[in-house]
This record gives sequence, C-alpha cells and structure tokens, in this order.
Amino acid sequence: MLRVSGNAGGVFHLHEGVVVAVESAGSPGVETLLVSSGVISAQEWYAALVESVAAGSLRDALVARGSVGPAEVEAVALAALHDGAFATAAGDVEECVIDTESTDVPLLPANGIAPALLLEKVAGLLDALTVPFSPYRDRLVPGRRTPSSEERREIVAHATGRRSARDIAFATGRSLHPVTAEISRMLGEELLDIAPPATAFSFSHWGLPSLRPRAPGPGSGKELDWTTTPWPPNCGKSERTSPE
Amino acid sequence: MDYDALAAELRKVRENVAGVTDTVIAASDGIPILTDVAKNVEPSHISALAAADLGIARQAAEVVGLGALRQTVVFGSEGYMAVYSISRTALMVVLGDKGLNLGRLLHETRPAIERIGSIMTP
Repeated sequence: MLRVSGNAGGVFHLHEGVVVAVESAGSPGVETLLVSSGVISAQEWYAALVESVAAGSLRDALVARGSVGPAEVEAVALAALHDGAFATAAGDVEECVIDTESTDVPLLPANGIAPALLLEKVAGLLDALTVPFSPYRDRLVPGRRTPSSEERREIVAHATGRRSARDIAFATGRSLHPVTAEISRMLGEELLDIAPPATAFSFSHWGLPSLRPRAPGPGSGKELDWTTTPWPPNCGKSERTSPE
Repeated sequence: MDYDALAAELRKVRENVAGVTDTVIAASDGIPILTDVAKNVEPSHISALAAADLGIARQAAEVVGLGALRQTVVFGSEGYMAVYSISRTALMVVLGDKGLNLGRLLHETRPAIERIGSIMTP
C-alpha cells in the first residue's frame, strides 16, 4: 500500500498492479456513501459487517442481504476510490511511503483501476474546477445571490463560515469531488464566498487572569503546590504543609 | 495569559487536521479558558464534560496500569470527542466529524499541547 501523509492524506491499496481502494480523511468512505444515499440503512450496514466474517467478504455479505446488487456495490466502491484519490491530491502532501508489510485490507475493494489511469482522471478533475480553491482550508459563507436548486440551497445552508467544502461533503453525506465542483461553480456565480478568518475562527475567552494556585507573598521565592493546598481551600486557617 | 498565542495554536489544529470541527482549552476543573466552537456547541458544557471524562480516563489508566494518559476519545457514529491533558491545571478538547483521522490528530496535537503548556506557564 501507499501511505500519503498530509492534510487530508490518504492510503492507496494496491493489488496485482492496480489500485483497489483509496481511503482518505478528506472524502466520505463507502459506508457514508451507501447509508447517506439511502441504498441501505445503518442497521443493514452493521449487520453486513458482522455477516462478512462468515461470508468471506463485505461485498458478498451486502449482496446476500438482497437490498443492493453486485453492480451497485462495485459502482459505490469505485466512486469512493476516485473520491479518495481526488481528496488526497487536492490537499497537502507531506510524505509518501510504500508499505509492503501492512496487513490492512480495505473494507470494500473495487475491481481496480490502473495507477496511470487514476492519476490522469484525478488531474482532470482538479483542472476542471471553475474557481480554484482549497476544499480544506477555505471555509464558506453564503454569497450575495440566492440559489434556486434544492441541491445548491442545501450547500448554502451548510455554509456556516466554519465549514470547508470537505466538511459540507461529510455533513451532506456526498462525495467530495461533486460537492467541491459544485461549490467552485457557485463561487463563480456569487452564490458562495470564501469566509474571512474572523468568521472561520470564532475565539472567545473569559478573561481568566491565571490558572496558578495561590502563591505565597512576594519575596519568599517559594510556591505552593496544588497537592499541598489544604482542603477545603480558603478555610481561613493556614495549615500549609509546604515550607514557608 | 497570552490568548492570541493560544488562539494561533487552536487555529493550527483545525487547519491542519481535516475533520476537526471545534476546539476548547479549559481548566481541569471544567471552566472554559479559550474556545473556537460552532453556535450549537456550548463551551461550558463541553468543558465540564471533558474535565469529568479526563479524570475518569486518567484514573482508569492508573488503576489498569496503562502508563501515562495520552488521550481519551469518545467514538460516536457521527463523530469524535478527544480530550488531552495539557498540564495538571488545564486540558484541551477537540471535536471532529466521522471522517476525522485520529492518527493525524494525535500527530498534530502532541507538539501543539507542549507549546500550549509552555504558553500557559507564566
């Protein structure tokens, strides 16, 4: 497998020369895609996970339950693979390490795609973004105009100023690439804007002057330790055990 | 206390780890010190819960003989709450969605906690 560390980073699972799965923190996995799209329920997913031990694979367990066909499972696995590769490429890449010893297996591997073909596809997806922006660092707020379609209204409803395109993809249970592409178009049409830092981060504090415990008067050069403070504190009578 | 320096550290955690939604620094008795949270997250509730959570996790680690506590994580079907001890007097809470990579979070938070600890030590 190929481990790509960074934000969002990703893990490329390889088998006999083809990529069979890509998992990334930047893109919803097969579970989210299957459950959020309503193909199967969360209960069915967990039941299939348990049954996969006896069935030999999660794919067989899902198909055996009857609510989803083999072609649909393959389509979702392939969509998650493409989306994971896009998510890894759209973020920061710090290091790539080939791990030949790992025994980690993907939950739901696809039949596979040649690495060169995957690379070409992902490069095409990145180039096709109308307005370039980061699906991780750039956070979104509603723009000057209001969208007309239901899908776009849902994206605007999630654009709280704190959420990035990746966060909106997870919040809506959709793949990262279609959400990023749609947001890119919406930025161009002034339906969304990039949030200013003051909106993206909302720091509040309560003005605590210090966390230090009560210290003896100036000049002593000695401090009280928490463990030596008598209990109950402020009881009026000093019974400190630390040297004065 | 240098709140700007603390805010810069919290900002880095949220910017560098995909899936982090909210961050809180609180006193270990559950009083919030600095927060960066969405409107639906109540800082005082999160701080109080995190303080209790950390206390129990620390005691469990000690009783079971697991060594020093590094982090305690609540796994939900829709996301995570990770709590870290900054020092004996403070803690940090990180909330994340279901896509959060916990390994990446630990990798980023470990040095951040050291820096936060030294900022908070006068």
